[in-house]
Amino acid sequence: MKMTTKTLTIGLLITLPLGIFAQTGYEIAKAMDEKKSPADMKSEMTMTLTNKQGKTRESIIRSISADDSRKQIIWFLSPADDKGVAFLKIEHADKDDEMRLWLPAFKKVRRISSKKKADSFMGSDMSYEDMTSRELDEYTYEILGEKKVDGIDCHILESTPKEGVTRTYKRFVTYVSKSDLIPVLDEAYDTRDQLLKRREMKYSKQKGYDLPTEIFVENVQKDHNTRLIFSSLEVDTGVEADLFQEKNLKRIPK
Amino acid sequence: MKQWFINQSVDHPKRSIIITILITLLMGSGLQHFVVEDDFMKMLPQDIPSMVTLNELKDEFGSTDLMFLGFGKRGVDVLNAKSLGTLWDIAHELEEINQVDEIMCISTSDKMESIDGFLEVSALQEYRDLDEEEIEALRGYLNENSKIKTRNLGENGDYFNVIIRPVVGAKNDVLVSDMEQILATHQADYDVHWGGQAYLTGALPVMIRNDVLGLMRAGLIGMLLILLFSLRNVTAVGTILATIILSMVFMMGFNGWMLYLTESDKFMFGVLNTSMPIILLTIANSYGVHVITKFFRKMRTNKDPRAAVEASLNSLILPIFLTALTTVAAFLCMVFAPLEPLIGYGFSISAGILWAWILSTVFLPSILVLKKWNPEASAVSHPSHFERFVIAFGEQVIKRPKTVLITGAVVVVIGIAGIFKLNIEVNMKAFFKPDNPIRESLEFMDSEMTGTMDLQLLINADLRSPEVLTQIESIQEFMEKHESVTLSISIADIIKQMHRMVNDDNPAFESIPDSRDKVNNLFTMYSMSGDPDDFSSLVDYDYKKGLATSMMRSISTSEIVLLVDEIEAFLQQDEYKDLNITITGLLIVFRDLVALIIRSSFISIFASIIIIALIAAYFFKHWLWGLLAVVPLSSAVILNFGLMGIFGVDLNHVTALLSAIIIGVGVDFAIHYISQFRNHLHTHGLDGKLSRETMRDVGFPVILDAASNMAFGALLFSVFIPMIHMGGLMVFAMVSTSTATLTLLAILLELNKKRLARIEGIAVPDEKF
Repeated sequence: MKMTTKTLTIGLLITLPLGIFAQTGYEIAKAMDEKKSPADMKSEMTMTLTNKQGKTRESIIRSISADDSRKQIIWFLSPADDKGVAFLKIEHADKDDEMRLWLPAFKKVRRISSKKKADSFMGSDMSYEDMTSRELDEYTYEILGEKKVDGIDCHILESTPKEGVTRTYKRFVTYVSKSDLIPVLDEAYDTRDQLLKRREMKYSKQKGYDLPTEIFVENVQKDHNTRLIFSSLEVDTGVEADLFQEKNLKRIPK
Repeated sequence: MKQWFINQSVDHPKRSIIITILITLLMGSGLQHFVVEDDFMKMLPQDIPSMVTLNELKDEFGSTDLMFLGFGKRGVDVLNAKSLGTLWDIAHELEEINQVDEIMCISTSDKMESIDGFLEVSALQEYRDLDEEEIEALRGYLNENSKIKTRNLGENGDYFNVIIRPVVGAKNDVLVSDMEQILATHQADYDVHWGGQAYLTGALPVMIRNDVLGLMRAGLIGMLLILLFSLRNVTAVGTILATIILSMVFMMGFNGWMLYLTESDKFMFGVLNTSMPIILLTIANSYGVHVITKFFRKMRTNKDPRAAVEASLNSLILPIFLTALTTVAAFLCMVFAPLEPLIGYGFSISAGILWAWILSTVFLPSILVLKKWNPEASAVSHPSHFERFVIAFGEQVIKRPKTVLITGAVVVVIGIAGIFKLNIEVNMKAFFKPDNPIRESLEFMDSEMTGTMDLQLLINADLRSPEVLTQIESIQEFMEKHESVTLSISIADIIKQMHRMVNDDNPAFESIPDSRDKVNNLFTMYSMSGDPDDFSSLVDYDYKKGLATSMMRSISTSEIVLLVDEIEAFLQQDEYKDLNITITGLLIVFRDLVALIIRSSFISIFASIIIIALIAAYFFKHWLWGLLAVVPLSSAVILNFGLMGIFGVDLNHVTALLSAIIIGVGVDFAIHYISQFRNHLHTHGLDGKLSRETMRDVGFPVILDAASNMAFGALLFSVFIPMIHMGGLMVFAMVSTSTATLTLLAILLELNKKRLARIEGIAVPDEKF
């Protein structure tokens, strides 16, 4: 299973040299896809889940990713109940992804698998499919118009899976910043063409990259949302490849 | 005022007919706003504690009003490619219905496996068309996980069990109809069985209404035939029919207008309103019968229709007005009913009754005035055989006052004894005859699937605590020991399964872990692999509230009460006290609701009797008249509920509501009798023929009224047992109220005639000397 994931930390966020003038939907999507991304990234994330009754769950996790987030390791720092749980994911182009979970209470590493891409990632409103960047050639693109979102001039780009491509969503409508070619708002429609999820993204610039500072995802049908706030962002720090090993799950790095 | 009414029909018959018809049509135009509401759930009171708890539960866990579908073919292993494909199609089609929140079956469930060191959460049936190897793997998984197997397959493996969870606030009637449409396309190849309280609340209202309306038409025809046989005149029967129809149009139109003007759900026409037309029919019929029979009696001596109408109205306007007033008072007592639709019911039927009174004192006499009567026609000139029989019967009663009184008293005492044997039953399965397809389906679901009822235990405790989870496990074990419980599901089951999986699928670890950290780790592990929504029906967001659902075979209301008592006693043990458990579910709501309806019915019976006594006392100007007016209906009510107890007719919301009919009709007979008795007392004094003349005057219309209304015994042919009981009880109510009036009341009046004469200021012969 090929997963060209920009993942949790990068998600849809791909930088692109400014000044490219995209005219068609495909050209805009292509320019977004070709944006340069960091070789590695370290961050701490506060993930807040809110259900329809307004009840919340908050987790703080430390994440290190590399290789366009194809490799990622996550440690749970809080709540106290989850502290020490760690997760390692390595995506492979030619075989199933590896996912391992360190369960400190059992002192065991368990390999886990989710065959259903629509399944939620860590109980959030993001599914494994949401964590995966959209393969450029699996979609057709159309510009639906222009609109300002939070004061940013945006293209309204519609992406529809091509025939034969199986996806949980029927189509996406993405509001792409004209100046930075980054998505600031993304709406995902289910197979019945009903709005299912709405994602808002905020960025900051660091080392020439547009890096996420906040992602808000709302499942409008379940009335549930997830807010991810990024802090202590570091990029291109030279993370070593052997970090992404099972033995490193057991100890939270300082 | 009385004369004004008489003048309208005697002096301006055409104008009166036109005006009453126009007013009826004007009110009837409200029919355009008339709304039929078949959603039974909407009728339930939202403020009773069990409903409040259930609603809170739904906010947190989604709807708990489950529906059950069993489908397959007897004796054919259902785990085959074709059946699994069909299940897949059905499950996905059902999921597409907007009113459906979740479908739980093999095609939509997940499985948790430990494969080559992988913990894998995946679909139990990954795609529609499985090959033989995949089917065998599925079979193997089900065999290893008995709870999952029990939940998804019938006892003999020849039926799938599909559990449907509607969205919160779903219209069950619409949902049931949509689901049945989907299943209709598959019914050729499979047997389909439905179950669940929510299913029945969705399916029953339409079925009951259609059934009752059909039988009501038969009852109406029967009533008209009885009237025709007794009155022997088409015009007379036609005018009664016209009075009935116009009252009905008025009542339904009033209902529509009230809904339009108040926008209140109280005025939606639901299953509880089904009896409204029948009751109004009997009342309007009663008014018409009294006017017509009195008119014929007057015609025999008078020969002039105008004079006969005038004389009839002279003697009937007050009693008919009083009967209308007392009946309206009885129905308005419904405003204190716990069910909102009954409040609208009370108002609308009161409007219909008042209009029936106007029609029978203005419209009907106007027709009688306009019609050219042949004084020699046998209908007019001679009493019918039936009338002669009633008169003879009355005379026999008057001759044996003590025997009649003692017999009446004994019967009432027997009735009182029977009341203590009354059985409350609200299990909807008991609504159907044993050979009814729905009952057969429910029995099938009970015997071979997980049953058709469900009961929830709401646990308020820390659900990450191993101690709490262990306690839940033992509560479930206790529940599953009960004969009627087929399966119990809670978060403890999932934790146990995950514990086993994380320990390489070792069955020895299918237990609650020994530390809180381990429980936490398991929850986190699942969130990495499965959908956290999988737990949403079992545990709340904070892991502070949990739900243990027990699937059950259908049991009676008394057994439910016993079961709840047993559970409560079990939970009283010290080790469970901290769990703060509430027993809840639609079943508990129904149990409480029925108790509430029955209690409020009894309160309204007593309130009605007191109000009726006060009204009669006020208009007849002495408390003794008031007391006597309620003797027949009180006796009839006691006898009615007593015989229900003796003959094992269950008391439920339908039969409890029947008391309204007894009171509504029973009081009419008594008021007519008392009114004529007083008339004769004032006209002829204590001449020895007092009771005999009263009986001659009132006996026939009372019996004819009762006999014609007994045509609604057609309800005995209903497919619904409560309706059969209602039909039977209607017949009984007519017999008991009319008999009590013509025996008990007649004798009491006869025995107390001197005292009553003194009350009325009439000279008593003994006092002359």
